[in-house]
Amino acid sequence: MDNFEPKLVGFCCNWCSYTGADLAGTSRLKYPPNVRVIRVMCSGRVGPEMVMKAFASGADGVLVLGCHIGDCHYVYGNHRTKKRMAVLKRMIGYLGIDPRRLRLEWVSAGEGAKFAEVVGEFTKQIKELGPKQQPVAS
Amino acid sequence: MLERTRELARSWLQKKEVDAIFGLRNKGGYLAPYLFNTEDELADLSISNQYRICHTCRPAKKNILSLMQARDPKLRIGVVCKGCDERALIELAKRSQLDLERIKILGVACTAEEAAECECERPYPGNLLVGDKVAGHSGHPGIDELLKKDIQQRFEFWCQQLGKCIKCYGCRNACPVCFCTDCKMEQELFVKVGRLPPEVPMFQFIRLIHIADKCTGCGECEKACPSNIPLTLITKLLKHDMKELFDYEAGLSVDNESPILLTLDAMPLRDGAGHGG
Ligand code: SF4
Ligand code: SF4
Ligand code: SF4
Ligand code: FES
Repeated sequence: MDNFEPKLVGFCCNWCSYTGADLAGTSRLKYPPNVRVIRVMCSGRVGPEMVMKAFASGADGVLVLGCHIGDCHYVYGNHRTKKRMAVLKRMIGYLGIDPRRLRLEWVSAGEGAKFAEVVGEFTKQIKELGPKQQPVAS
Repeated sequence: MLERTRELARSWLQKKEVDAIFGLRNKGGYLAPYLFNTEDELADLSISNQYRICHTCRPAKKNILSLMQARDPKLRIGVVCKGCDERALIELAKRSQLDLERIKILGVACTAEEAAECECERPYPGNLLVGDKVAGHSGHPGIDELLKKDIQQRFEFWCQQLGKCIKCYGCRNACPVCFCTDCKMEQELFVKVGRLPPEVPMFQFIRLIHIADKCTGCGECEKACPSNIPLTLITKLLKHDMKELFDYEAGLSVDNESPILLTLDAMPLRDGAGHGG
């Protein structure tokens, strides 16, 4: 597994996490290039089927990044995200996708360093887990 | 029990507490939902754990009761409900699919045998008027077996099971709480038209995750499945998760909003449940 480079999808909310990712870039912070960022207006926009679509399209891990609780620009969007992800993690576990392949984190617009850290840690974890099994019928 | 149910239904019609009774009718041995308008007709009223009274009519994509309510905005209906029937009405009312104010529930308990047959955890309605509560069925060998498997084995299990799917949409059509007019299981982005078997596990995943906070435990989806896919393994696990994560059970009260839709302040996630495993 040493040279396994995981494919990761990162759903970033427009207002905090996407700006945080941007900041990580403009501050020239080093982080693994494995994440394909998908910008969404709010972490609450990330429906369960979007997460599954990412897995089905070959992602080895999925990150969902949103504003900290209390900072969501749609006030309670991320409250739902948090609950939805808790149920979703269990659900994918039953279906045979390791729940550790899905991660929710709060990254604010000023937290470029946190973005880099989360991506680094997650990449490391997914490297350890290895490639995700692909559905037979895909 | 059946006699007592008919009696009550008759008296509701007599006293004009309701305009009609909705329940199962036995016609020559065939059971189907029926709107009983007269007391005489009630001789054919039947009860069975094999049928649900409340389905979404496709292609109208509306619940049968709500269609009747829309046609006659004053209609008051008495509905003969088993536990799962009542839970379906409550979940539908929560989501504005029907007007529970104009529905009077004639709740009937199921027997221990029926509960065992349905593997039902709550074989009685809240508004119980006929029969006695019997204990729910708990524990499930299939679930234990699934949970004993490691991640890879679970994946293989579902590849094999879901790989049998012929995409008939029977599970969705039979489910009393699947009522979306714009179903994600029909959207090209997630499910390719004409592909068989459908994407594993995407196709059933969509429905199962959507009903996590609504499932009445009726087992109709699995019964409808011509490929014998054990769909209720997942519905049951998710029901337990809703209980564990939010202390929530679907179908108990209209005032019990889905925890997923409530804020963390109104309905917190139980500690440690948000992250990790
Ligand atoms: S699922 Fe439960 S309530 Fe419904 S018919 Fe079966 S035993 Fe009765
Ligand atoms: S058991 Fe199946 S058919 Fe019944 S409510 Fe749950 S998901 Fe729908
Ligand atoms: S009822 Fe069974 S075969 Fe039909 S769509 Fe559902 S899972 Fe597939
Ligand atoms: S806007 Fe960032 S999580 Fe809602």
